Amino acid sequence: MESIPLTWEEVARVHGRKIYNFAYRLTGNPDDAHDLVQEVLLRVHRGLSNYQPGSFEGWLWRITRNAFLDDVRRQKRRPTAPLPDEVDRWAHGATESADAEYARISLGDDIQKALLELPIDFREAVILCDVVGLSYEEIAKAVAVPIGTVRSRIHRGRKILKELLT
Amino acid sequence: MTHPTEQISAYLDGELHGHELTQLMDHLSRCGNCTAELEQMQFVRSAVRSLPVLELPAGLVSEADPVVVALPRHKGMWAGVAAAVVIAAIALAAIVTPPADEVDLQRLNSLVGARSTLDPAFGPAKVSVSPLVSE
Repeated sequence: MESIPLTWEEVARVHGRKIYNFAYRLTGNPDDAHDLVQEVLLRVHRGLSNYQPGSFEGWLWRITRNAFLDDVRRQKRRPTAPLPDEVDRWAHGATESADAEYARISLGDDIQKALLELPIDFREAVILCDVVGLSYEEIAKAVAVPIGTVRSRIHRGRKILKELLT
Repeated sequence: MTHPTEQISAYLDGELHGHELTQLMDHLSRCGNCTAELEQMQFVRSAVRSLPVLELPAGLVSEADPVVVALPRHKGMWAGVAAAVVIAAIALAAIVTPPADEVDLQRLNSLVGARSTLDPAFGPAKVSVSPLVSE
């Protein structure tokens, strides 16, 4: 049984990092991710009192993707790739060797750039699956499409990524 | 032969069950192309999943906190109140402060020069000096 955060603070504390990671991988840069998370948390605050018990994850990710799509429509801008030294600098310890660190950042940068090449529908499906860790059913609820469509989008997204990364 | 390619990703994600799973396993045992695709999809899936988890930037949540977001309005209100209090205090000080000693310009002029006698418009005058800010 899914536990449902009841307060805004709990939502921010429990889901803030996941929302940020989704936003970062979707937009490709920290500033847009920052703005998107703030917008999502604002919408959560407005909507939480009217939230009907059900799939909280579906509700939250629906808000998140709608905020992103609204932003894309409003700005009519194409997400840009991050600068290489902006990628992944927070999450790693100092024990990694310089070569391994360089290889990891380089690969991470390539993956991030490849993600941004995907059509938005494929990109969000792949990120929700592989970055956020949602099940196909949760993605289907968040995106409001049948599970078969989720399956198709993830596979086609991965096929494009394979072409871009090899 | 129909290649169940979309089932490959679903299989890797643990989202394939029952008859579909059996079918795919059977197909993979006979199809080199799909086995190769399985390996490729596994590589891509692992690559995306290897992206490190980013920490939430410090302050992001508190910046988005509805209570904090509402603060600037309160700050403005309190700043206005504080300014009003200071102005009132200054005005009150001006009212209750005893008049400073009057300065006799004529006497002053006699001490520092004779300008008041040379300039008719600059006749003797008395001014009251009340410091605006008392120590």
